[in-house]
Amino acid sequence: MKGLHGIIFSHENRNDLRELTTQRMPASVPFAGRYRIIDFILSDMVNAGITDVGVVLHGNYQSLLDHLGSGKDWDLSRSHGGLRLLPPFFYQTAGGAREFRGKMEALAGVRSYLEGIRQSHVVLADSDLIINIPLQDVFQAHLDSGADITAVCTGDLTGPADVTYFRLNDQGRVTESLYPLNNPAGCHRSLEIYILSKQKLLELVDECMSHDQVSFRSAVLQAKAGSLHIQSYVWDGYAAQIRTLRGYYLRSMELLDPAIRREIFHPQRPIHTKERNDASTYIDPAGTCCNCLVADGCTIEGTVENSILFRGVSVAKGAEVKNCILMQDVVISRDAVCHYVIADKNVQIMDSRTLMGHDQYPMVIAKDSKV
Amino acid sequence: MKKECIAMLLAGGQGSRLYVLTSNVAKPAVPFGGKYRIIDFPLSNCTNSGIDTVGVLTQYKPLELNSYIGSGQPWDLDRLDGGVHILPPYMREGDKGTWFKGTANAIYQNIGFVDMYDPDYVVILSGDHIYKMNYGKMLDAHKKAGAACTISVLEVPWSEASRFGIMAVDGEDNIVEFQEKPKEPKSNLASMGIYVFTWKKLREYLINDENDPSSSNDFGKNIIPNMLNAGEKLIAYRFDGYWKDVGTLESLWDANMDMLSRGDLDLLESSWPIYARLPSEPPAFIGKSALVEHSVVTQGCEVNGTVLNSVLSHGARVEEGAEVSYSVLMPGVTVKRGAVVRYAILGENCQVEAGACVGGAPESCDPDKWGVTVLGPGACAGPGEVVAPNTMLNRDHKEVSR
Repeated sequence: MKGLHGIIFSHENRNDLRELTTQRMPASVPFAGRYRIIDFILSDMVNAGITDVGVVLHGNYQSLLDHLGSGKDWDLSRSHGGLRLLPPFFYQTAGGAREFRGKMEALAGVRSYLEGIRQSHVVLADSDLIINIPLQDVFQAHLDSGADITAVCTGDLTGPADVTYFRLNDQGRVTESLYPLNNPAGCHRSLEIYILSKQKLLELVDECMSHDQVSFRSAVLQAKAGSLHIQSYVWDGYAAQIRTLRGYYLRSMELLDPAIRREIFHPQRPIHTKERNDASTYIDPAGTCCNCLVADGCTIEGTVENSILFRGVSVAKGAEVKNCILMQDVVISRDAVCHYVIADKNVQIMDSRTLMGHDQYPMVIAKDSKV
Repeated sequence: MKKECIAMLLAGGQGSRLYVLTSNVAKPAVPFGGKYRIIDFPLSNCTNSGIDTVGVLTQYKPLELNSYIGSGQPWDLDRLDGGVHILPPYMREGDKGTWFKGTANAIYQNIGFVDMYDPDYVVILSGDHIYKMNYGKMLDAHKKAGAACTISVLEVPWSEASRFGIMAVDGEDNIVEFQEKPKEPKSNLASMGIYVFTWKKLREYLINDENDPSSSNDFGKNIIPNMLNAGEKLIAYRFDGYWKDVGTLESLWDANMDMLSRGDLDLLESSWPIYARLPSEPPAFIGKSALVEHSVVTQGCEVNGTVLNSVLSHGARVEEGAEVSYSVLMPGVTVKRGAVVRYAILGENCQVEAGACVGGAPESCDPDKWGVTVLGPGACAGPGEVVAPNTMLNRDHKEVSR
């Protein structure tokens, strides 16, 4: 069947998201008021007409399982195809079960799953990327170019440093893949979205497995830049890789800019997430709220400025919240003051507490804490 | 498979007293409270009460309602056995079928559906009430009393009793008389239009009623009086929570305002959730120039103007310099720069262009002529246009009179 199959990798350790990832993987870190980071790439796949998606799990994936469930919120709960979760116990080796070390090893661990893919092509993607990209256009470009692999990249070099960079020739072909790179000027930054045929993927997986190679970057992108036709797809829209807490905070606050919201919340390509039943948010006459992104189910009786409120947050009378990110069901009690605070799920800030972080170093309060 | 109790939801009415709001949709599909449609209340009550089989009787303009209900998944009513079923009128051999002639006839025509589940009890519900209610408790009262029919009632002020169907009861809440909108009410217990019947009894009365050519095939007018006259045991079940029939523009507006005050109808209170089907939209954005007080905002909203005492449904936009007060903005409404909307209901996807003035406060005009201003779904108030209080416009910009 001609078409695309999605595979999303979730990684555990390749980030510095501090307390936000002590109980979850970066893929399930809450973002933009009602989403988890993985919702973006997953919705992009669904919006491109992809019906079958495998999510390769890694590390502490309980929270990701809770979030994805059967996949019904993304229309991926199907009797045929749909969402498949690929847990790490697939990676059985002579030395016992362990977590995978690289994408090629992860794919080798689910080889039988790869064989069963119904579609002609596969899109591989990471789960730490905020993007709303029409993947069907990338797929068409892949078919048109006749390349072995199409790699999505951006000319915007302002993202995190520890990423793969591509050097492109005049035809947009990737001539070199570089990691690490101190001075990326003139290069393109990889967004870690790759399209290739199922057949080519299986060949590469088998080859890597027999050579004991585990990394897609070194064994494929770097080693085969000459022998394979790796074509770039340069994306000039919004894309944010969330790898550090500072990046998380900045990328979140950017959402208060309408131009950026327009890029990631496209009316024809909605981002889906696990639904919750909250009523509309209520703003009391005693409360003020300005320059905020506010999800449903909140009760605002205090002052809230330049902040992002997830579902079910309550801010009591006299409380002051500025430049904060308050996740699901956070409670800010009377007269408490919070500036530059990222409060994880279910955090309670009791009466009259004062918490001050800084723009350069926001204060993170771990999930379920009571201050 | 046999079920102890199933629900039949009467959702076929035109809702003609909602005028332009129901010109294209059935009344139960009218939006309410920011995230909901009226039918979410009875459907959510069913699922919260443990009733997993619901027949929804549709007749008038059912397309939007049908697609809204879909598989019933938002209400957990997509079940292997049971779940939610849309029941339109259908053709039959011989008499070739008819439209539903009345509420009782609608159930009569679907006796076959009810029999498929062979229930002991059937709950009859309306699709035009806003309330949170545990039908399970009412069913318990019905079983305990061994009644043929239990009618849910609400105490209303004596002065208003003559507007309702009134149940006169004895000391044990057995119904002794039913009065439809009585001039001299014998009690202040008003019927809420929610009935539990023992199915065997109801089935019998439906068939007899159908054979009576003079009957108007209505629960209130025929079935209940017939049961009373035949000496069946009918009891009143007293309900003391929030309940409102939103069949008129004023009551729909009132109920939205009641929701804002978070008294008896607190939708943010989560022990009895109301479920809804919603498009996936980003969180609401409240801009730097916005002022929002005593109002609700919903996902997909963008507010840069002033919003006071109002309900903003999903996707509603209020631009900078616009003012919205004491109003209900249904999904997708846009109020542009400098426009003023007061005491109004704006239907889905209405546009209020820059500088327009829609509606006005009660003190702004002759009190006898004042009323809530209504723009029907898709209607538009042009730039600078003044739409007076108590006016209704449809999508073709024609004024509709009440």
